[in-house]
Amino acid sequence: MSAERLVAALERRRATAQIVPAADAAGAAAERVAGWGSGRVLLADDPVLDGLGLPAALAAAGPQMLRWPEGRDLGWRDLLGLDGAAATCGVTVPALAVAERGTLVLAAGPGHGRAIDVVSMHHLAVLPASRIRETLAEALTEAYAAPGRAPSAISLVSGPSRTSDIEKISTLGAHGALAMHVIVVEDR
Amino acid sequence: MSGTRPVVYTDAVAPLRERTREALADDELHGNLATAGASWAAGRARMGREHPFAQMRERGRAIRRDNIRHLPELLARLEERVTAAGGTVVRVSDGEAACRYITDLAAARGARTVAKSKSMATEEIKLNEALEEAGLRAVETDLGEWILQLAGQHPSHIIAPAVHLNREQIRELFAAESGEEVPDDREALVAHARRRLREVFAAADIGVSGVNLAVAETGTLCVVENEGNARLVTALPRIHVAVMGMERVVEDWDQAAHLLQLLPMAAIGDDAATYVNLITGPRAPDEADGPEELHLVLLDGGRAALRGTDLEEALDCIRCGACLYSCPMWRSVGGQAYGSPYSGPIGAVITPLLEGMRGERSSELPFLSSLCGSCHDACPVGIPLHDLLVRVRGRVATPTHRRDRRLFALWSRAWSSPALYGASRVGARIGLRLFGRRGWIGRLPGPAGRWTEQRDLPSRWPPRE
Amino acid sequence: MRTCLADVAAPSVWKAARTVLQRAGVEVVVPRGQTCCGQPGWSSGHPEEARRVARRALRAFAGDDPVVVPSGSCAAMVCHGYPELFAGTPDEDAAAAMAERTVELTQFIAREGLRTGAELSGTVTYHDSCHMLRILRERESPREVLGAVAGLELIEMEQTDVCCGFGGTFSVNFPEVSGRLGEEKARAASVTGAHELVACDLSCLLHIAGRARRTGVPLRARHIAEVLAG
Repeated sequence: MSAERLVAALERRRATAQIVPAADAAGAAAERVAGWGSGRVLLADDPVLDGLGLPAALAAAGPQMLRWPEGRDLGWRDLLGLDGAAATCGVTVPALAVAERGTLVLAAGPGHGRAIDVVSMHHLAVLPASRIRETLAEALTEAYAAPGRAPSAISLVSGPSRTSDIEKISTLGAHGALAMHVIVVEDR
Repeated sequence: MSGTRPVVYTDAVAPLRERTREALADDELHGNLATAGASWAAGRARMGREHPFAQMRERGRAIRRDNIRHLPELLARLEERVTAAGGTVVRVSDGEAACRYITDLAAARGARTVAKSKSMATEEIKLNEALEEAGLRAVETDLGEWILQLAGQHPSHIIAPAVHLNREQIRELFAAESGEEVPDDREALVAHARRRLREVFAAADIGVSGVNLAVAETGTLCVVENEGNARLVTALPRIHVAVMGMERVVEDWDQAAHLLQLLPMAAIGDDAATYVNLITGPRAPDEADGPEELHLVLLDGGRAALRGTDLEEALDCIRCGACLYSCPMWRSVGGQAYGSPYSGPIGAVITPLLEGMRGERSSELPFLSSLCGSCHDACPVGIPLHDLLVRVRGRVATPTHRRDRRLFALWSRAWSSPALYGASRVGARIGLRLFGRRGWIGRLPGPAGRWTEQRDLPSRWPPRE
Repeated sequence: MRTCLADVAAPSVWKAARTVLQRAGVEVVVPRGQTCCGQPGWSSGHPEEARRVARRALRAFAGDDPVVVPSGSCAAMVCHGYPELFAGTPDEDAAAAMAERTVELTQFIAREGLRTGAELSGTVTYHDSCHMLRILRERESPREVLGAVAGLELIEMEQTDVCCGFGGTFSVNFPEVSGRLGEEKARAASVTGAHELVACDLSCLLHIAGRARRTGVPLRARHIAEVLAG
């Protein structure tokens, strides 16, 4: 139920989303990336992705594959699409998600660059369904519950980037991702 | 001494009334403001239908009242947590000190380019001017702010700064900046800006952001946006400087979650802003991106002086901009007429206060209001702005106001006496009869003539047709 | 309370209010020593001067009877403004007591369930003055009272809740902005096609009607008390 609610909320926020069993996740990802025509994929270094067989499936679809943190060596000009390919896709694994709002909670870490989703043209998030929470308060309290220093950057993402600065009409793809797709993986 | 630097823009030289007259003559501005106001009102109405806004507002008010009451403790905790996370916290008494800290830092680090995301506090302290004087290149990366920077103009609204410009005007600015042919459809304009500003994100040595809210419990800075430029500004450059008004702190994540929901509802009539960036210290040692240094500049600038006064509630403000859209005055003349980074009702209250009630220009602002109270209704944290406007008026100390007071002193002596009141009443009724032509007076003599500049006065009631 | 504006510009308004109440069986006393509620000084940022005038009101209306005012603006001043105006002064209690007892005319009629017996065959449009709407929170009482007038049809105007632009001394400090808002309000009222514009506040009406005449917008205007006395 909460997965369906999250999908509905994401769609209201102008993202797209689908719910798939674990076995189908890699195929769904490859299909989305092919649909976007991504020339390059920048993957977070996360065991969830490996566990689903995502890297292999994406590589088979043809784009250049980069993994965090090694991809960082290319430099920002390249990763931003200035010197290199502009049609890039960033793949993230949210730590949590908020069903009532359509919000992904991305936590930065050694394997998870804080800018992966915004330097890329498209953002693909792979979310285990067990990580969905109902409310923002719940998610934030949990995200900051661990003792010691909090993660240096937690990014709440509620859809693709947009601006209404031109004639008050909302246009996508201001500085962050032009489109965002969430693959919710059934894991309960 | 805090609050001595002007908050108003240096080019706000003409009296406010003159600036409002100019604005009223601008039909294009009028159209743009009407569209913006209607769009906000529709979003706001939708939020009211979809959410228990009245209760949320009550809770929002309770949270902010509590925050301001405990401000010193919250700031102490915030400072401790940010420092523990590896950040540097500096408390500055005024804008000049804030600018000096940042330009000194830039010099010490050999910085040349500064990428900025939207921050009212940096407008208030005139940071861009200070950076430019120090030989740095400072580029606004919020689309609306960049457009204004290219146009050499000030923002007209807290949330939507370029709301007074149209597509063709923007296209011309982009073409001039890049030397390129720029198509004039919206998507192409946005794509063009995206490309041009990516150059800045890649090149910037320092990223400067504002802070919407700081959470004392974990030392976390919340930066709210829709475009993604604040994320890039706070993630890519090796130094992040966050400039924050000292009153923008909350206690814990429960409070923060509530205000983070209220903010977009009031500001843009939506459930969520696209990005909320939650930053705790600089990058961890094992991370491959993120700034190496985080500097939090806590700005007093006249704020501390408001605590414990009958104007304290002005500190509750979370800078959503709703009061601007709800204000019939702001909708008539736009934000630039105010001549301050803070326009609309909140701007009319805090601009003179932050200047210590010393500014001639800022002291006019509280009077640009019919006290209709729409601002209070619109405010998501229930600030009684209409009451605050009256209280600020009482504190104005300009020569004009002192002269006004002498007139009111005469009025109060006359009208506290039934006999004198009765005499003045008889005099007024005789005057109406004398000056009335077929039931109307087109021009009153002397100072009363100000009334008839804009309206006829009925000399009989009900008014004669 | 007669209100200073009615005293100076439209005595028919307070007299109509008295008539309405008397017809409904209420005993009405009009204290002779009353002057002004003090609002012009208060809202212009001269609290000391406002207090001097308002003290006269405290004395003129001392007692236990409800104070009925044909003005949302003056009623709001007493109910909402007096407690703050007199806080920390020797008159603090007297001010609070008067604030408790003071009520706008249509509020009083609705609250007491009074019958005005008024008749009017025609259409009116109603302007929600800011003090009535946002300070006294009275959207319904005036409409209820108008609704009870036999033969009267109320046509709502667009944006009835947007300020008319009077705003006290605002009207002479920023006359052009005030005039623009007044004109917009006059047009909104006129375009309904209603026979006349009605409001609970004479200040709004003087401003709107005056602006209508100056800009050539056809508009008749009366105070709600006058409609209820008809």
